Amino acid sequence: MGGFLLRRVAGAAVMLFVVGSIVFSLLAVVPGDPAELLLSTGGGSATPEAIANLRATMGLDQPVMQQYAAFLLNSVRFDFGTSIIDGSSIADNIALRLPRTLEIIAAGALLALLVAIPAGTAAGLRAGGRFDITASAVNALLTSVPGFVVGTLFIYLFAQVLGWLPAGGYVAFAQDPVQHLRMLILPAVTVGLHLATIIFRMTRASVLEMRGHDWVRTATAKGLSRRLVIRRHVLKNALGPVITVVGMQLGILLGSTVLVEFVYNWPGLSGLLVTAVEQRDYPTVRAVILVVAAIFIAINLVIDVLYSLLDPRIRLQ
Amino acid sequence: MTAIPASRFRAPAIPRRMILPGVLLAALIVIPFAAPLITEANPIQISVRERLAPPSWEHWLGQDEFGRDRLARVLHGGQVSLMVAFLSTTLACLVGTLFGLIGAYFRGPFQFLTTRLSDVVLCFPPILLALLVVTLFGPGTVTLVAVLSILYFPAFSRIAFSEALRVSALDFVEASRALGTPSRRIVFGTILPNIAGPVSVQYSLTAAAAITIESGLSFLGLGVVPPAPSWGQMIRGARQFMNQDPLGILIPCVALTLTIYAINFFCDRLRDTLDPKGNGGGKDTTSQPTSDGQGGGAAGDVVAEVRNLRLDIPRPGQPVPVIEDVSLTLRANQCTALVGESGSGKSLSALALMGLLPGAIRQSAGTLTLRRKSGEMVDMGRLTPKQLEDVRGNDVAMIFQEPMTSLNPVHKVGAQMVEAILAHRPMPKAEARAQAIRLLTLVGINEAERRFNGYPHEMSGGMRQRVMIAMALTCEPRLLIADEPTTALDVTIQAEIIELLQKLRTDYADGLSLLFISHNLGVVAEIADRVAVMYSGQVVEEGPAKQILTDPHHPYTRALLESMPSSHEEAHSTRGDRLQAVEGTPPLPGRRPSGCTFRDRCPIALASCALDRPPLFGGSDRHVRCFRAPEATQEAA
Repeated sequence: MGGFLLRRVAGAAVMLFVVGSIVFSLLAVVPGDPAELLLSTGGGSATPEAIANLRATMGLDQPVMQQYAAFLLNSVRFDFGTSIIDGSSIADNIALRLPRTLEIIAAGALLALLVAIPAGTAAGLRAGGRFDITASAVNALLTSVPGFVVGTLFIYLFAQVLGWLPAGGYVAFAQDPVQHLRMLILPAVTVGLHLATIIFRMTRASVLEMRGHDWVRTATAKGLSRRLVIRRHVLKNALGPVITVVGMQLGILLGSTVLVEFVYNWPGLSGLLVTAVEQRDYPTVRAVILVVAAIFIAINLVIDVLYSLLDPRIRLQ
Repeated sequence: MTAIPASRFRAPAIPRRMILPGVLLAALIVIPFAAPLITEANPIQISVRERLAPPSWEHWLGQDEFGRDRLARVLHGGQVSLMVAFLSTTLACLVGTLFGLIGAYFRGPFQFLTTRLSDVVLCFPPILLALLVVTLFGPGTVTLVAVLSILYFPAFSRIAFSEALRVSALDFVEASRALGTPSRRIVFGTILPNIAGPVSVQYSLTAAAAITIESGLSFLGLGVVPPAPSWGQMIRGARQFMNQDPLGILIPCVALTLTIYAINFFCDRLRDTLDPKGNGGGKDTTSQPTSDGQGGGAAGDVVAEVRNLRLDIPRPGQPVPVIEDVSLTLRANQCTALVGESGSGKSLSALALMGLLPGAIRQSAGTLTLRRKSGEMVDMGRLTPKQLEDVRGNDVAMIFQEPMTSLNPVHKVGAQMVEAILAHRPMPKAEARAQAIRLLTLVGINEAERRFNGYPHEMSGGMRQRVMIAMALTCEPRLLIADEPTTALDVTIQAEIIELLQKLRTDYADGLSLLFISHNLGVVAEIADRVAVMYSGQVVEEGPAKQILTDPHHPYTRALLESMPSSHEEAHSTRGDRLQAVEGTPPLPGRRPSGCTFRDRCPIALASCALDRPPLFGGSDRHVRCFRAPEATQEAA
């Protein structure tokens, strides 16, 4: 187990390094002067002083290898420099907004797991049955609705027509817990809905596959109750592949969260990111993406370890 | 999906299930491009006075917040979305597939590049990577296409790589390589057609994802640049006015969702068509035993009785009979061998006795009775599912053919034994554990303590079968069913397992009745007291083992014995599954001939054998189902 853990952590570290290098080198391969490029918004070109200034703050006047080393070193220390728009600390901006994004994701993932795992299991156990056919059809439809469309339609339905929930916005939990949670509902459901469709599909397929294995028959032959057979000999085996795929899909989930936050005006990373992209604040964009990629890699590391606890054979590979 | 050599690769006729998704998808792709035929309105013509106008004769879907014709905008927006999606997907597909094929064919550094590349790209949430590039190059259609193709080509290269690897290991590819066919021709002529399926599934998946991302970026105002219309932008624009004008958000939302749905739908069906096994339906429930109420009243040493068992596969119209009229009496302290070729119905008869029939098979007649430990005979067909659970493992246990797959790989061996004990006998865990370890020692497992805490994959096949035997014995059943317990094992291990079963019968489980299923008469001769020979769903001969094996009366039994290798070594060979002494193979369940089912292969069949199905002839101890057997001629006389 120790060796396995070490290998996986090392692999994750290498991955992070590669991601950081790519994010860094993208700016280097852009034709022309990056400083000039970043300051040229809307056709107008910036003053030479502004360009020289930006080159100095971003360290673009240093040799490339030196820039690279500094960038990696600073990233490890969670120091991403300052925004080229307002000079604020990027790390502080991220630290302020990241928890809000994680909150939506966690709430959405929780909802998705609670609904999709039981539903997927039921559908997989009785594949071809009435529940399976209905649930699979609904699932196929829901898979096809992009998160921001769901969000927009939810606002129309629940906020405008029914008036049950606020159309968006954010209040800190400490300030008004009830309102905070009311505002969390729609974004969390929107994010969770998409994840749920993926989990449902995977769980169904995995259960369908596992339930046909010989050991399930052995377990039944031993006289275990149907509930135990399903829990210990179908579900436990089926969950490994499910969580792995969910881990892989988290990238898409993190991406769709950006849109969902935007739809509901939830001041997470997305607001920071979209403004930064609009204003070509490359250091901020770069930092946000690096942080998100790091989270993604970390989650997948955790999932790998979880899977190895579920299925001991994984540790051998 | 099976691979096919290039020379025989033909585009198959369009399957029925593909028609509806195909038509739907084609319609949704064609309609936007038919915009000039549908409306003459200009999608970017602003008319502020008519802003948010409801549908009218000139503007079927109304006008948007700038008074632009909404129908024209939806159609033209579709053009942009579809073009971006399909252009980038096609680019990604071409580049990615080429990469994958090169990686698979030349291996080495190419292989490393193809597999690692996709790992790295997968780390970036797609939309974020797109945003990163948009920051540098500014929004726009060209940027979008470039980003999306970079984003998605590794997925294609990975699929092409692994599929090509699979295909190139196939015999006919190896063969053509050995014959000196140039690499280029192997790759494009042989491998490419074979990987077309998975790649086309990925193509539709990617196209749907690309549309989602394009519309998402446009929604953020970072995709398609206004005034060019796009669905994402239309939703963005109409959002502020959703209260006055819900149509504004509904129309692009529906268009977008419908298009993505059509692609997904097409993709799902395509996947099912290419790989039908992935869609395996059916329920996991085992079908319940039934009773026709003729059981009961058995002698004291009878442990189980199968009477006139009939199993069918229900089909619309005529059900297909799998087992026709099987009767067996299993007594205490006796080993009954059930012998026959694969597909004769041996295993199904045994599974029926466990109440473990697969859901696709129904018991249509007959009774299965079993003596419980209390001494009472129970009719399996009258037990509730709960009672059946109680009987299984407790009164009757089973060992299966495949020790490698019969144990759950994710649980420790000990845990799987303990749960079997606890299912029937509530006791402290430590006690159950001690009992399990004692049993493991009993079946000859060294270091039982250590093995108890080990996983099945750490054991050999022979050891796993010993574990299965130990597990079956946990609750001291009265009947043990062993379904070809040695077939999957090495010859030397086979002998050890048989020896173990023998030893257990005499030393450990007093009064145990063993139902031993095998096609190997050599093994049967060593262990069985009685033999029942099955052929195409019927018992054709039944009686004391010695008599049957030395003086068979049914021509099929004779053929089985003749095809048995003479030396002891070969008697344990795993290749006895097909009958060499007689031509042909047993008839399939739906195609059994009239009269005697063996007559087509029988060396002594008469014309009259085709008329009636022979009944079981003979007295109380020995039966045979043949018109030409001595018993039959005696009865006729």
